[in-house]
Amino acid sequence: MSLILPTIGFSLISASILALAAVGFTLQFGVTNILNLAFAEVMTSSAFVAYWVNSRGISIWIGMLVAGLFGAILSLLINRWLYRPFIRSGTRLFGLIIVSMGLALIIQNGVLAITGPGFFTYDQPHGLAFDVAGIRFTYTELAILLIAVVAMAAVHLLLTRTRLGKAMRACSADSALARCSGVPTARVVDIAWLLSGALAGIAGVTLFMNTTAFSVTTSGDFLVVIIAAAILGGVGDAYGAMLGALIIGFATEFSALFLNSAYKTAIAFVILVVVLLIRPQGVRAAFAAAREVQT
Amino acid sequence: MSNATQFYVTTLLIYGAVSIIACWGLDLQFGDTGILNFAFIMFQAAGAYTAAVLTLGPSTQSNPLSNYQQYVFGASVPYPVSVFAAALVGALLSYPIGVVALRRLRSDYQAVAMLVVSLIATTVVISDTGLLDGERGLFLIPKPLRDSADTLLGYQWLYVGISCVFLAVVLWVIARISRAPLGRSLRAIRESESAAAALGKNVLSLRMGAFVVGNMIAAISGALLVQYIGSWSPNGWLYPETFVYLGAIIIGGAANKLGVLIGALLLPVGISEGVRYLPSFGGPGFVDAVQFMLIGVLIIAFMWFRPRGLVPERRRTFGNPRWSFRRRTPGAGVATAMPSADEQGLAG
Repeated sequence: MSLILPTIGFSLISASILALAAVGFTLQFGVTNILNLAFAEVMTSSAFVAYWVNSRGISIWIGMLVAGLFGAILSLLINRWLYRPFIRSGTRLFGLIIVSMGLALIIQNGVLAITGPGFFTYDQPHGLAFDVAGIRFTYTELAILLIAVVAMAAVHLLLTRTRLGKAMRACSADSALARCSGVPTARVVDIAWLLSGALAGIAGVTLFMNTTAFSVTTSGDFLVVIIAAAILGGVGDAYGAMLGALIIGFATEFSALFLNSAYKTAIAFVILVVVLLIRPQGVRAAFAAAREVQT
Repeated sequence: MSNATQFYVTTLLIYGAVSIIACWGLDLQFGDTGILNFAFIMFQAAGAYTAAVLTLGPSTQSNPLSNYQQYVFGASVPYPVSVFAAALVGALLSYPIGVVALRRLRSDYQAVAMLVVSLIATTVVISDTGLLDGERGLFLIPKPLRDSADTLLGYQWLYVGISCVFLAVVLWVIARISRAPLGRSLRAIRESESAAAALGKNVLSLRMGAFVVGNMIAAISGALLVQYIGSWSPNGWLYPETFVYLGAIIIGGAANKLGVLIGALLLPVGISEGVRYLPSFGGPGFVDAVQFMLIGVLIIAFMWFRPRGLVPERRRTFGNPRWSFRRRTPGAGVATAMPSADEQGLAG
């Protein structure tokens, strides 16, 4: 079918955006064990910061950098000022989800109150289609692909080649044991929030660049797709999240070939439900063996 | 009272009753059993759609109500039957979802599963326009027993009465559950699943029971609401609406019926009505946004300063009089003065 090649292209782009977000989400979820329902709101608010920068006539690529920075700082502050005090006072899993729910309401509606309910577009370079192996990409799409690949490579190098990466993996696998082994867990948690926020910011901008017109609610439902990718790959496992993003990216785009395209995101949700039913540890079992997801 | 005031007051009373019923249903799951049901609003919607479809009449050409909208299984059943059918649908829908979401997963995974179910339901209803008229939603839903009252105002008061009957029935059911040994088992599961299981409680089936009953109550609240307002669309039951009800319970006091009642009146009804009296400012949607922000702030503030809510859960001690909200045994007084570990946060 002639539609297959372009669909592969779309899938790659979706997977790239999703991978950026899912890796950010899973790094933080794995290290801190907090289901951060406000993650999508960090994406939205960072992307609107990029919009503000962009509307001053500055290139969207610089806007993206600013968004990444903003996301990182916002995320760090959320941890320092909100989650950490709650954890110290003894709030556990259940209570923290509710706190994150409240935070999500505050940020989303805060942005809504500032920007209004309208639709926005970035002033971004248009046109210039490239043919790569028979698939036609626009300039923006190629850039998104490149950013995702670079970011994933950077995460890979960080996790495997640095002491910090090692410490993060240790915290993610078993935080108490990591602390006993002398890993400064509080600092590692801070860095995980920073990284996760930076990736959220970049993912938010790429998501909005890839939509014709975005609004405050654009990334709202996207949160569940991110969670789907992260859980599919096994929470805390960055490579799993990349794999999960690829699977979900392809599954959603290819389902649109056969089904009503409105069901595109529903496919991701169905995958998530099936994974939760069959294999809540995620597809990469070796890593997941140590994690307690079943009480 | 002038007619306009009466009309306003009755409307508020009906909204209040619906919100209290819904919150009590959710509190049975959240407060008593410790289930974080992020799909709660979907069950309210299921009840509403059931009641709507069963009163709109058959979806044929000859039925004037169905000419402008599409839906399945149209019928016109006599009044209370539509509400019972709604409760039944709520229960039936709970089973498959409970099987997926209430498995022995960590509570955050359960919450995610519920959230996903809610989103899938919204997607399906919006995309499949033949099912329940998609994004536009159902409208012109007939008011039950409209002929029994001569004036519109009389009907308002009649519906207040009907709402109060349902409110009383729901209160009776949940108060019974809460006082019975069953309620004790549910609270045991909330405090520690493994301890309850070790004592021979079938955790999964008890949780499922609370889930089903809570969702039936949600469906009843939906049916009650839809037959009063006469229309229902996906925009009214997006997943953040569940957060509003959860917020109401946290502010009022989880697992305390009176507290939940207060929360239900303060949050979903009180704030949206309070905001109405503010001078209009900002762009379109600004006031709504501020309203939701306020709810978020209240949730976090209460989680921090008063995690057990305005009216904390009553300590159930031996010989505690049944309806005493004030009188505390000495032990309970000490516990309130010095928050212990389990008062700091909700059990995880």
